[in-house]
Amino acid sequence: MLEYIIKIKRVTKNIFQDAWVWKMAWRDGRHNLSRLFLFSASLITGIAAVVAIASLNYSLQDELNRNAKELLGADLVLNSSKKFDAEIFTAVDSTKQKIAGDADMASMVMFMNTKQSRLVKLTAMYGDFPFYGEMATFPTNAYQLVKTGKYAMLDESLASQFQVSSEDSIKVGNTIFKVAGVVTKIPGGGGLTSTLAPAVYISLASLDSTGLVQFGSRVGYSIYIKTNSEADTKSLIEKVKPLSKKLGFGYETVEARREGLGQGFKSVYQFFSLLAFVALILGCIGVASSVHIYAREKRDEVALLRCIGSSGWQAFNIYFIQIFVLGVVGSLLGAALGVGIHQVIPYAFQEYIPLKLDFAISIRAILEGVVLGAIVSILFTLLPLLSVRFVPPLTVLRADFDSGKIKSKSKWAAIILIVLFPILAAAYQTKSFISGGLFAIGIGVALVCLTGVAYLLLFMVRRYFPINASFIWRHAMSNLFRPNNQTRVLMVAIGLGAFIIATLNIIQSSLLNQVEFKGNANQSNTILFDIQPNQKEGVVKLIKDQPLPVNQVVPIITCRLKEVKGKSIEEIQRDTARIPEWALTREYRVTYRDSLIASEELIKGELQKFTKGKADSVTVTISEGMHEVLKVTVGDSLTFDLQGVPLTVKISGIRKVDWPKDPPNFIFVFPAGVLENAPQIFVAATRVDEPTQASKFQQTLVIAYPNVSLIDLRLILSTVNELFGKIGLVVRFLALFSIITGLVVLASAVINSKFIRMKENVLLRTLGARTRQITLITLIEYAYLGIFSSLTGMILSLGGGWILTKFFFEVEFAVNAIELLYICSGVVILTVFIGWFNSREVISTPPLQVLRKEN
Amino acid sequence: MSDIVLQCERLSKTYKTGDRSLTVLDEVTFEARQGTSMAIIGPSGSGKTTLLGLCAGLDVPSNGTISLMGFKLNSMSEDDRAYVRNQFVGFVFQNFQLLPTLTALENVMVPLELRGTKNSSTKAKDLLARVGLSDRLDHYPTQLSGGEQQRVAMARAFMTSPRILFADEPTGNLDEENASQIVKLLFEINKEEKTTLVLVTHNLELAEKTERILQMKGGKLVNERSTDSVIR
Repeated sequence: MLEYIIKIKRVTKNIFQDAWVWKMAWRDGRHNLSRLFLFSASLITGIAAVVAIASLNYSLQDELNRNAKELLGADLVLNSSKKFDAEIFTAVDSTKQKIAGDADMASMVMFMNTKQSRLVKLTAMYGDFPFYGEMATFPTNAYQLVKTGKYAMLDESLASQFQVSSEDSIKVGNTIFKVAGVVTKIPGGGGLTSTLAPAVYISLASLDSTGLVQFGSRVGYSIYIKTNSEADTKSLIEKVKPLSKKLGFGYETVEARREGLGQGFKSVYQFFSLLAFVALILGCIGVASSVHIYAREKRDEVALLRCIGSSGWQAFNIYFIQIFVLGVVGSLLGAALGVGIHQVIPYAFQEYIPLKLDFAISIRAILEGVVLGAIVSILFTLLPLLSVRFVPPLTVLRADFDSGKIKSKSKWAAIILIVLFPILAAAYQTKSFISGGLFAIGIGVALVCLTGVAYLLLFMVRRYFPINASFIWRHAMSNLFRPNNQTRVLMVAIGLGAFIIATLNIIQSSLLNQVEFKGNANQSNTILFDIQPNQKEGVVKLIKDQPLPVNQVVPIITCRLKEVKGKSIEEIQRDTARIPEWALTREYRVTYRDSLIASEELIKGELQKFTKGKADSVTVTISEGMHEVLKVTVGDSLTFDLQGVPLTVKISGIRKVDWPKDPPNFIFVFPAGVLENAPQIFVAATRVDEPTQASKFQQTLVIAYPNVSLIDLRLILSTVNELFGKIGLVVRFLALFSIITGLVVLASAVINSKFIRMKENVLLRTLGARTRQITLITLIEYAYLGIFSSLTGMILSLGGGWILTKFFFEVEFAVNAIELLYICSGVVILTVFIGWFNSREVISTPPLQVLRKEN
Repeated sequence: MSDIVLQCERLSKTYKTGDRSLTVLDEVTFEARQGTSMAIIGPSGSGKTTLLGLCAGLDVPSNGTISLMGFKLNSMSEDDRAYVRNQFVGFVFQNFQLLPTLTALENVMVPLELRGTKNSSTKAKDLLARVGLSDRLDHYPTQLSGGEQQRVAMARAFMTSPRILFADEPTGNLDEENASQIVKLLFEINKEEKTTLVLVTHNLELAEKTERILQMKGGKLVNERSTDSVIR
C-alpha cells in the first residue's frame, strides 16, 4: 500500500495564455463554420437595426448642431396671433437688424387647371427670408417672381397632388395668381408639416387683394430677425422677453428650435432604438437556443477532452472563443448591413425630416453596435456554454451518465448579468435608470406574454388536434414537437414581429374608424368656417341648393381670458403652481346656445344660462379636460375679454365632448342672449357623400364666397391615412427585423435538426412514403409554425391594441379583419418558404446516403 | 519507492435513484504494478466499466480509496484528476472516441498539446507510423475505417507515454482481422513502453493474453488469477 500522498501542482492558464484552447477552437470551428455563422446571423439583423438607427440619430444630431441657424432661417423669430404692435418694431430696431416676416392663415385655394379646391396654409411673405439656409425652388427664380406680387409658389407635395405646373394659375380669395414654381426646401418647413398643411406662398403686399383677411379671420404673424452678432441676438432677446409677456406674443431662438427638434428626434430615436433592441434580444434568444443544442451535441467531445486531461474551463473556453469570435463577426456584418441601410434611409425618409440627411458613416454607431453585439453574444450564450464545464468525463464510457444537478456560482453570475443587461442597455439608450427598468419590465412582460400564448396555443393544439386527421397532417403536427425544434422560440420571435405589425394596424384602423363617416348618416363631414354675418344667409342657401343638409350654423366669437377665479392672467403667470401659458394666452373661439348637441354630455353641474336683465347672472359650461388644465370647477369665475369688453361669468357645468363627432365643438359654451351683439362669424356644417358632389360644392363656394374656408373631413381621413402610412413604414421596417431574426432562427433550427429529419425521412421512405408526401409533411409543418406564430402575435396584438386604443388614444377599438388576415398570410408564406428552402436537402437526400453516413 | 501504480481499496459505488439505491460496485480491492497487464472480465452489468471509470479517475467512489501514481483520486477535484489523467493515463475505448473535427494527426497530438508541449507533431507522426497510418495523417475520423480509427486512438493513448493504459473493449467494434491487428499492436507497444495495462473485455481469448485476470460478478470481485494457471 502506498503511504504517501503527492500534492498536485497544476498550473492553470487563463484564456489568453492558453494557446491550446485557441487552437482547438479553430480546429473544431472550421468544420462547423456554416452552422456557427448561422447562429451569428441571428444577431446580424438586430445589430443592423441598432446601427442603422443610431447612425441616423447621430447624422441628425450632427446636422442639427451644424446647421442650427438654417432650421430657423433667422437669429430670432417672433410669433403672434395678432398684428405686431409698433412697440415691438421699435424694440427690434429695423434700422440695425435685417427683418423679414409673414402672415399665415388657413384658406381655400382653387386650382384653375382642374377647378379643384383645397384648404391650404396660405403664407404671405415680405423681406428676404431666409437669412440662413436657402429657399430652394423650382424653377430657381420662383421666389423672385413671388416678390413681384402676381405669382404664387406651392409646396412640392401640393403641386404634385393637383398636377399644377408653372403654366397654371390658382385662385386665392378674390385674386388669381400665376404659379411661379414649387418650393422644394424652406427653413423650418417640409417634413410632416407639409403633409398636414401644405402651403401656398404669396407676397404680403398681395394679401389684401385676396380679401381673405376679414373680421374673425385667424391669422398668424411672424417676424424674422437677423442680427449682426451673437451679442446683438442676446441683447435683443433680453429686450423682447418682457414685451412678449406684456403684449402676448411668442418668440423662438435658434437654440430653442434646435433643442425642440433635437428632443423630438431623440424621443423618436429612443422609441425606434428600443424596438431595434427587442429585435436584437430576440436574435440573442435564438442564438442561445442554438448554442444550447450545439453544446449538447458537443457533450461527447467534451467528455473525451476531459478524459484525456482538459479542465472544465479549458473545454468551456474552446466553445466560448468560437461563439465570441462569431458574435464579433456577426456584429461586424450587422454593423456593415446597418451602415448600408443608413445609406438608403436618406432616400426613403428624407421627405419626413426637415433636415438634409447625409450619408456619413458614424464610427460611434458602428462601435456601439459591435460592442453591443459582442456583449449580447457572450451573455446569452453563457448559460448553455457553462454546461460544458460540467460534462462528466465518465460520459465517454456511459453515454447516458448524468452527474445530477450542478450548483455553480458562475451560472448564477450569468443569470444575474442576463437580467441586468436589458436594464443597463435600455438605461444607456434612454439615459435613465427608471426608463431602463421600465423597459426591461416591458420586454419581460411582452416576452412572458408571447411565450405564455405560444405555450397555451401548442398545448391546446396538441390536446385537441383531431386524431382522425390524415397521416400527413398528423405527422407534420408531431414534427413541431420534435426535440431541439425550437418551436416556442420561433413562435415568440416571429410572433413578436407579427404582433408589432398587427398592433400598428389595429391602432390605425381604430383611429380611422373614429373619423370614418359611413356609419352615421347624419354626421357632418364638411365644415365651412369664416362665414361673415352678412354671408350667413347666402351660404346656407348655397348649401341647400346643392342640395345638401344644413346640420349646424354656429356663431363663433373670439375672446381671450382676462381673469381666472378673480386672479389676472399676469398674476397667474407669476404663480409657482402654473397653468400652462398656452391655456392662459390663447384665443378662444366660443359659441352660444341653451342646449347640448349630440356630441356633448353634461357630466357635472348644469347647463349655461342667463337671466335677462341680470348682467352678472351669465354662466358658461366648460369642456371636460380643459377645466383640469385651467384648474377650475363648477362655481368658479372667469373673466373674458370679448374684443375689448370684459365679461365675468361663472362656470355652471362641465361637458364631456366627443370631439370628432358632429363638429364643430367648443371648449366654452355661453348661454343665448349674451353674445348676440358681439362681433362674430359663423361656422356651418353639412354632409357631402359623393366626391363629385363635394368637388362641385367646393367650386361653387370658392367662387361665390372666396373668403369662406372649407374643411373636408374626408381629406383629414386621407391625411391621417397618409401620416400612418409614413409612420407605419418605419415601424413595419423595424418589425421586419424581428421577423427576419425569427426566420434566421428558423433556418438555424432546421439545419440543427437536419440529420434527425433526414433519418426520419429515410424511415418514412423505407416504409413506403413518396417524395411528394415527405414534401407535403415539410410544408404543412412550416405552415403550422407560421400559423401558430402569427396567431401568437395576433392574439397579443388584439389585447395590446385594445389597451392602447382604450387608455392611450382613447378611441373606440376597431379591427380590420381582412388586413389582419393579410398579415397572417404574409407571415405564413414567409415561414413556409424559409422552412422549405432550408429543408430541400433533407427532402431530396437518397436514403442510402443517410444510412452510410450513420454507419 | 514502491512500483505500485494503481491501488484500489474497498472500492464501492452506489447510485441513488429517488428513494432507491443501487450498488454497482461492492468493496473491490486490488492493485496493479508497474509494467504489468491485467484484464477485468465479467458479464454485462457486473461492474467492470464502473471499476475502470473509478480507477481512471473519471468518477469518484462512494466508499473506499483509489491511489493512482500516488495521487489519492477520491479527494481530488475533477480538474485535478484531469491533470493526473493527462500526466499518467492513456485510454483506448470500444467506440474509438476520436474528435470528429480533428484530423488523425491532430487527434494524436491533443494529449501532449494539453500539457503545453510544443512540436508534438513529430512524436505523433512517429506513433501513427508505428500503427501503420503514416499515409493517413490528414484524414478525418469519418474518412477512416473502424480499424484505422482504433489505431489512431492507440497512437493517441501512447502519445504521453502513460504509466497506465486503460482499454475498454478495444476490439468490441472491430472485425476479426482488425481486432487481431489491434491486439497485436496494443501488446507490442505496451511492452515497448513498459506501460501498465488494464483491460476490460468480454473476450476471454483477449483476457488470456494479459498476466492477470480479475473476474467480476454482481459488483464484486469474485475471482483473481494469473493467466499462467489458466493456460496450464
